[in-house]
Amino acid sequence: MKNLTALSGRQWLVSQEDSSIFMGCSKIKVIENNHCQRCGGLITAKLPNGKQYCRACIGIGRAVEGDLLIRYQVKVPFSKKKNGGLTWHGKLTPLQLSISNALVKNFNKKKNSLVHAVTGAGKTEMLFQLIAECMRKGKRACIATPRIDVVNELYPRFKEAFAEIEIGKYHGREFKEPGLEQLTICTTHQLLKFYGAFDLLVIDEVDSFPYVGDPQLHFAAKNAVKKSGVRVYLTATPTNDLLDEAKNGKLQILKLNRRFHGGFLPVPREKLFLRPFLRKQKIHPKLIAEIVKVIRSKHPLLLFVPHIDQIPVYLAALQKEERLKNIKMDGVSAKDNKRLEKVQDFREQKLQLLVTTTILERGVTFKHVWVIIVAADDQIYTAASLVQIAGRVGRAQNDPGGLVMYCYRKYTKNIRSAMKQIREMNK
Amino acid sequence: MNECLLCKQEFIPEISFLQIFSWSKYREPKICFRCLHQFERLSEIRCKYCSKNMNVAGTCHDCLDWQQIYGQNLLYNYSVYRYNDYFHDLMVNYKRYDDYVLYEVLQEICYKELLKIEADLYVPIPTSPEHQQKRQFDTISAIFSGLVPLTPLLKKKSGCGAQGEKNKHERLASSQSFYIDKEKIKKSFNGKSILLLDDIYTTGRTLYHARDQLLQFLPDSEIKSFSICR
Repeated sequence: MKNLTALSGRQWLVSQEDSSIFMGCSKIKVIENNHCQRCGGLITAKLPNGKQYCRACIGIGRAVEGDLLIRYQVKVPFSKKKNGGLTWHGKLTPLQLSISNALVKNFNKKKNSLVHAVTGAGKTEMLFQLIAECMRKGKRACIATPRIDVVNELYPRFKEAFAEIEIGKYHGREFKEPGLEQLTICTTHQLLKFYGAFDLLVIDEVDSFPYVGDPQLHFAAKNAVKKSGVRVYLTATPTNDLLDEAKNGKLQILKLNRRFHGGFLPVPREKLFLRPFLRKQKIHPKLIAEIVKVIRSKHPLLLFVPHIDQIPVYLAALQKEERLKNIKMDGVSAKDNKRLEKVQDFREQKLQLLVTTTILERGVTFKHVWVIIVAADDQIYTAASLVQIAGRVGRAQNDPGGLVMYCYRKYTKNIRSAMKQIREMNK
Repeated sequence: MNECLLCKQEFIPEISFLQIFSWSKYREPKICFRCLHQFERLSEIRCKYCSKNMNVAGTCHDCLDWQQIYGQNLLYNYSVYRYNDYFHDLMVNYKRYDDYVLYEVLQEICYKELLKIEADLYVPIPTSPEHQQKRQFDTISAIFSGLVPLTPLLKKKSGCGAQGEKNKHERLASSQSFYIDKEKIKKSFNGKSILLLDDIYTTGRTLYHARDQLLQFLPDSEIKSFSICR
């Protein structure tokens, strides 16, 4: 038999015929009672031969009725590094430090935590001591997040902070199978490949798509930690299921309502529009006036529109506007091949106006940026995304204020809830 | 409320008055309006043989190349959509990840055009035995069997590799991989009009091979082809 140690903490599929070679592993039927045991999803599809298969997790290999799910767990001794391999020498603010200490304490007491910190609070730095504690004890940790962009942003920061620790980085566009690193940084989708693997699982940006509202990913997250493992959630806008867990005493909420520079969150301005934002390829004159005002104040502007197909329409209308004649502008969406370059151009202020969708709602920092959300009443904007978008503004120490504008025609629950959350965090 | 097979969001299908009062069978839409509009229809200006979109109507480069082998006896191919990124993603999910139920999407986007073409026999392009075993379904038959009566006269040899994984040169250089199913073929089929059915027309290699094989046994038949994408 092959040496399976590298697969410790993993789960994978085999067909019934090949199953006998995996000795010492637990084997279960992957599809049972109309549910997929790998992702927890309800089965809705059948092959012509009548066998059920799972569509929800088909991207990591089709699970067909009769296939077996192999799970392998063996104790892996990681070397216990002095100081946990932490090579970071930065300093935390007193508020950050108190959260960081609480996380370490909760981890040692095997208690789950929820860090509710405003956007721009410096959450990543607050994790360093916690991860170091886990590494110091020779235990295994994972930082998972719903977004590939965030994985790509976290990885170099942790690589720098933990120069002596081997870190695995996995997401759908890396095309490689997870290995046996002591610290793993991956998307929440990758968690479907693990079972009982981690002593510590940190989920960053829990409130973002696609993790939020996806029961499969929640299922995967629960399965990926050891029974005795600890979970930590990070968010600026906790979802109701997490708040419920906290109420039931399964989670401890750690709140941080100051940005790292000590400033408040900018409170959005709400603006009611009676006529449509866009009519006959023309933008509402009042909306244009607001856009011109921002541009004249020399601030780069992020203009959020609800749908990808509206980006070119708004862009064309803006380019026709006389007062915006010499302004460099562009549009960027998830489907854009030049997305990273355009975002970089905007960051370097080569572009003054960027029309975009919720793809840029989080995880990105632009200096001095101001934000206008067109149609903030569109159902695509959850309260969490509205708070996140507002959080793009005022992130710099020397420019903590700024304009956030929610343009709406119908005041929605989500707008109200976002406003309430922002005001509450500012108290 | 239906759930879209592609984006998994719920949608309300649009029904016109004409549909309510018509006798034709109502087909339950499987994909939402937004997803449907991602597919790009071929425009009117196309190659007169293979339906490829062109700037000026005429004969495309691929067909000019085929003329060197087949002279004036080129294959007429009908296609409906252009092979854009969206279609590519759909085919990846259908043929690589083996998401069988997507056959319903492919049916939905092409059935109207297919039913306009008249033929005596409909012959699907077969799948290799290796793929059939891995997928546990036949990709082409799954799409078309609910739309027209199929006559599966062709079979595919094993060990030929997938066309989709080859580059253009390798595709064109690939050798005949089809053979005739002797149990299914009848003398009376000779002289009938035949429509070959496939999903994607890339270089035409597959469909010309299929036609070559059929013409050996049915020399007097008129053979055309239908592929969803060009």
